[in-house]
Amino acid sequence: MQIMRLIVTGPVGAGKSTFIQSVSEIQVVDTDRRATDATTLSLKHKTTVAFDFGRLQFSPKMALHLYGTPGQARFDFMWDLLICKAHIYMLLVAAHRPHEFRYARRMLSFMQHRSRAPYIVGITHTDKEGAWELEDLPIALGLLDETTRPPLVVVNPRDAESVKRSIVVLIRHFIQQRKDQKAPPRAATAVTIAS
Amino acid sequence: MAITGYLAEFSLAEIFQFLEQSHKTGLLTIRGGTDRCPSLTQGHYIWFRQGEIVAASHETGGQGLCHLINRRGWLGYRAALRLSESCPPGTPLGLYLKSQNILGADQLKLLFYTQVMQQVCSLFALEDGSFHFNSRVTIPSTELTGLSAPAMEVTLAGLRVLRDWSALADKLPDAHSSLINTTRGRPTLRLKSTEWQIWEFADGHTPIHKIAHRLNLPIEKVRQIAFRLIVVGLMEELPLLGENLSVESTESPQLETLPSVSEPVPQVQENELSHSFLQSLVGFLTGRN
Repeated sequence: MQIMRLIVTGPVGAGKSTFIQSVSEIQVVDTDRRATDATTLSLKHKTTVAFDFGRLQFSPKMALHLYGTPGQARFDFMWDLLICKAHIYMLLVAAHRPHEFRYARRMLSFMQHRSRAPYIVGITHTDKEGAWELEDLPIALGLLDETTRPPLVVVNPRDAESVKRSIVVLIRHFIQQRKDQKAPPRAATAVTIAS
Repeated sequence: MAITGYLAEFSLAEIFQFLEQSHKTGLLTIRGGTDRCPSLTQGHYIWFRQGEIVAASHETGGQGLCHLINRRGWLGYRAALRLSESCPPGTPLGLYLKSQNILGADQLKLLFYTQVMQQVCSLFALEDGSFHFNSRVTIPSTELTGLSAPAMEVTLAGLRVLRDWSALADKLPDAHSSLINTTRGRPTLRLKSTEWQIWEFADGHTPIHKIAHRLNLPIEKVRQIAFRLIVVGLMEELPLLGENLSVESTESPQLETLPSVSEPVPQVQENELSHSFLQSLVGFLTGRN
């Protein structure tokens, strides 16, 4: 059985759960795990982490698994488990929530230092009032270098076709990255409308 | 669509970082304030050219610079206004007055410092308020001294003198995060000694609370300095994993392929997936299968 693992990450409200629900052939599993560390255990405090899981089986021996990262701000072992097993990941960012851009930058920083898996940025809620221009978002997310910037995709998490198109962009980026490993680096800037 | 929002959500320091890094030209308008700062409840206007701050004023009539010249006692307001009317279109008023030997280079610098550094630096304390950036505004030459300052340099100066950090409290990096250097080589900005020390700890491993301990500084102080080095593009916050975490239960059927947390987690080998797998998946998603 071949399984590709796609991690969908991003700040709360970016549309991670909806994204997975839109394409998953199974009811999305919202798993709850209790994680404790020595300090919080001694204080009798608990930390709950949760992630979404969806599946897309497209042949008897082939499937795409989708994992949504916990919505909480804390980066813990669950993040590490998800990231280190990921083949690809997508950072979802809501264009109309500038207060989440810094947290998205933190997430990206964390992901990039834990994993070398190819990723793209999915921009959601571009039709909402106060949504930032697409061309401004890479800078706001700290992706300054156009030559190393991942593709940006406009995606509507509620629209299964839009979600599928964004995943196709990600897989093609993954294929390209594999090819590039044998070739000199090249510009990867692209903006795709998947909504 | 525009660049707009609230300072409580996207701070002035972040706005400046964004405008400089995206080389924006236009007018940034800040509105609002708090009861604690009644002088800041009016509108504030900051003009940018290619990401650099070229002028600032509390008014949009284009006479802010004349008022400042008058306040300095270098010219009467009416005289300054008359001269500004004879200023050739497109020429900064400051440079025109210098060409007429009315102001010297040092006076222009002082004027720019008062106009930009003093007026703008006070805005970093704003807790409430909205911002709007309009790139379709013509910069009034009567507000220009002819000098400019990189927005992030103004940020650095503004945050150095900021005493009340409550407006930025939830923006500061976490004490358990580390910092990572984002510059190639040494920073070109002039840093203070404590800033240098913290920058040198930006190794991606040392958490902020340990940096504070090693430098014998309060954690809060290090978080504030780290924030200002982040918003001037010298480093990024890198969250670290929580320590000594363990899973109490692992019931998910979907996690059976994941290793337990006590095992080292291997990075996925991309070669695990065959070309035919990827082609089939793309075909399935695009409806070609």
